[in-house]
Amino acid sequence: MKKFTKSIILAALLPLSAFADTKIGVSMAHFDDNFLTVLREGMSSYAKTQKDVNLQFEDARGDVGRQVSQVENFISQKVAAIVVNPADTSATKRMTEAARKAGIPIVYVNRKPDEKMGNGAAFVGSDSLVAGHLQGEYIAKKLNGKGNVVIMQGELSTDAQRDRTQGVKDIFAKFPGIKVVEEQTANFDRSQAINLMSKWISAGVKFDAVAANNDEMALGAIIAMKQAKVDPKKIVIGGVDATKDALSSMQKGELTMTVFQNAKGQGQGAIDAAIKLAKGDKSQAKDIMIPYELVTPQNMKGYLNR
Amino acid sequence: MNQTTTVASLPATKKRKFKLPQEFSILLVLIGIALIFEVLGWVKRDQSFLYNPQGLLIMILQVSEIGLIAVGVTMIIIAGGIDLASGSVVALSAMVASSFAQVVGYDRAIFPSLGGLPVIIPVLMGLLIGAITGFINGAVIVKMRVPAFIVTLGMMVSARGLARYYTGGQPVSMFTDDYLWIGSGSNPVIIFLAVALFFHIVLRYTRFGKSIYAIGGNVQAARVSGINVGKNLIAVYTIAGVLSGLAGVVVSARAQTGQSGMGMGYELDAIAAAVIGGTSLAGGVGRITGTVIGALILGVISSGFTFLGIDSYLQEIVKGLIIVIAVVADQFRKKRAS
Repeated sequence: MKKFTKSIILAALLPLSAFADTKIGVSMAHFDDNFLTVLREGMSSYAKTQKDVNLQFEDARGDVGRQVSQVENFISQKVAAIVVNPADTSATKRMTEAARKAGIPIVYVNRKPDEKMGNGAAFVGSDSLVAGHLQGEYIAKKLNGKGNVVIMQGELSTDAQRDRTQGVKDIFAKFPGIKVVEEQTANFDRSQAINLMSKWISAGVKFDAVAANNDEMALGAIIAMKQAKVDPKKIVIGGVDATKDALSSMQKGELTMTVFQNAKGQGQGAIDAAIKLAKGDKSQAKDIMIPYELVTPQNMKGYLNR
Repeated sequence: MNQTTTVASLPATKKRKFKLPQEFSILLVLIGIALIFEVLGWVKRDQSFLYNPQGLLIMILQVSEIGLIAVGVTMIIIAGGIDLASGSVVALSAMVASSFAQVVGYDRAIFPSLGGLPVIIPVLMGLLIGAITGFINGAVIVKMRVPAFIVTLGMMVSARGLARYYTGGQPVSMFTDDYLWIGSGSNPVIIFLAVALFFHIVLRYTRFGKSIYAIGGNVQAARVSGINVGKNLIAVYTIAGVLSGLAGVVVSARAQTGQSGMGMGYELDAIAAAVIGGTSLAGGVGRITGTVIGALILGVISSGFTFLGIDSYLQEIVKGLIIVIAVVADQFRKKRAS
């Protein structure tokens, strides 16, 4: 009898708690990535400002399989919406279909899935191609349309690496005087970028500009140049991300430019879209773009505390 | 490069004059790979790959952290164990050491009141973290009789987690000049080679070193002959932990930042260096000189690929092949020699 009453009370409470708040399941590709940490913080701080919104974070640790089961778990928990920072942009279909089948909206953030959005699925992020264009244009301007460029690529087969590299090349293709002399990966990693730049310098590669897919690699290139007695102030060096370290390097006059990707804005946008979709807002766009912003020594002050 | 091999293999040649040292065959593999790149260099770039002092330094510099770990891992493998935790311990010790190496008056410092400490403090903190993790590995393996693979796998996951938890994933930078000095110029190379030479001597000429070979060769026999197996094993894991900690200090000083993602995959590169260098995963066999050559092979391959401008996508495929081929070639030569 006691057991029976208990279960009645529990059964009565459960739907209540479910109605009380909008629970959103979030699966991140990586917890430890710097940029994604800012994005995650952007989500949770925005969720706190919203009434009765609860986030549950899971770390896929770069594994598509793990991410799919996390999403399946969210669906079986009947969350109000799902936010996914995809581990692999080409393998999102299974998650999208499972969410659509269960009638739960799914929002992808930061990394754009290869499949088409819409019908309960949306993307919030920035176009990496634009980051490449901004970087390419500024470097081309600084070089007066003439010079040798080396490209440091990020982790191969990520859309950020692919599109940022494509973006700078698109621009350089318009300047016959600009030549890409070397192009290799340093996996978005500073130590690997130090090694790569050291090897280029020791092999006698002559360059006037460095186009790096992210700031960490640009900073690695600068460290290697200083060790090899090449003055980084005489080289045009571009990164992406506008990290604290990058901005302090820019203050010293070493890093020439970077591109700010609004991680916080993407996090807020994703949760906002998830809430709207969960409420059945049909006017929600399929692709929500948070713009990239060019950061140079002239305007860097505004980014120091962001 | 030449300097390393002569310094390291001197004792070996002295001892048995009529027989080539074991590392000779793997040294030939190293020279062979270097010569292939030399020829391809002239063909593709019209430039020498090897006649380039700066380039040669970088070949060793880029593997000095992995080499440091590999020295410890070699000793562990000789003793019949394995260490999968080293890469994560690099990250953890890099984070902790970095947090004590920040300049005075940096408002975003981890410990704002502890800026500008003498360089010995962050270094000791890094080594201490390594020693603690290594000691835990050794103690659990010995006292609880859990396989080394499992214990160090657990440590690999936990240490990485702790490295992230320490600052909540935030990177640590703005170091004192003294700390940066550790990673500047050829200092990492000097540290690596000094450590390798020291442990080469320890392994070959001390009772401790001989005990390690005995334990890896046959635990029962070692125990019967009066060797304190547990104590020696814990010592080996602790030493390996200290060397991973040292690698964490060096890598953070060189990159001028401490990040929780550092050292990713280093454990496997270190094991590869040891195995290429002739250390047997079955235990009881191996030498530091071989491991140094193994690490150099990894460095030469990496430099060679960049030198030739080989497509990044192809590099990893070829690197994997070369690791296996290097070991196969070594086995083949050994068989013919015996």
